[in-house]
Amino acid sequence: MSAIDEFEAAREDLEALLIEVLGAVAGEEALPVWDEGLPSGPIVWSRLAIHDEEDDSFTMVSVRTSSIVARVLASRMLLTPDPGPDDLLDAVGELGNIAGGNVKSLLRHSCRLSLPAAEVTEDAKPTETGVTVRAAVLGQVVELTVDVAGDVSGLYWPGGSPLTDALESRS
Amino acid sequence: MIILVADDSRAMRLIVIRTLRQAGFAGHKVIEAENGKQAFDLCVKHNPDLILSDWNMPEMTGLDFLRALRASGKNTPFCFVTSEGSEEMREYAKAAGAVDLIAKPFTAEIFSDVLSTVVKV
Repeated sequence: MSAIDEFEAAREDLEALLIEVLGAVAGEEALPVWDEGLPSGPIVWSRLAIHDEEDDSFTMVSVRTSSIVARVLASRMLLTPDPGPDDLLDAVGELGNIAGGNVKSLLRHSCRLSLPAAEVTEDAKPTETGVTVRAAVLGQVVELTVDVAGDVSGLYWPGGSPLTDALESRS
Repeated sequence: MIILVADDSRAMRLIVIRTLRQAGFAGHKVIEAENGKQAFDLCVKHNPDLILSDWNMPEMTGLDFLRALRASGKNTPFCFVTSEGSEEMREYAKAAGAVDLIAKPFTAEIFSDVLSTVVKV
């Protein structure tokens, strides 16, 4: 079974995972959605990598949502009525971190998890190869994508070294 | 009682502190660190009574922080609060000297159940 087939087989578990994590972080009931995407406009995007040392493969986990949801999440997590840009990145980064840790526990037990990296972008569409599940909270969609492909530049291991060091040491 | 909360996310540190209060650990002094190295330095300075630490952090991981703490002779109760809650991680944590591991997302009930066996409210 390929990794993508494995992620596809775990689709229901990934949906349940996103709903649980999102509900806990937002303090609101999250519901699954299947036919809605993210609205147009700025997207706050968090990504991290899970590295399997046995076969040297990476699993990429990313979370995307609108800046509206990011603002509400940051406001609730940080108890501030007017969160700043860094607060939005912190909130969505931590949402991605919790999701990534739970994906690792679900699918990739004996692997290494990177630190999350978050950014605001106008173009963070899910990869075409990965498995994407969606949930709605506060009337807005949040996407979780698990994939084997992805760019690990800008990601760091806990402790501080960049993931690209591992890639360079391969070649 | 002094409680040290270490996490690289300020949002998560605030959630942990709020959850501590909801779990009945209100009224204690809480100090914060954003990585393991800063947490270790605060331990030397303030000698906390309880440590709640993330696992994956920049500068120094939670595991390296715990190992450094134990190597320095301090037996402060140490609990991981981390996004990875597998049995394997739990075993790693306990083998390194942690009292337990609380997986994110968590509830006040989980905090109460785990921490009430470690410290008196």
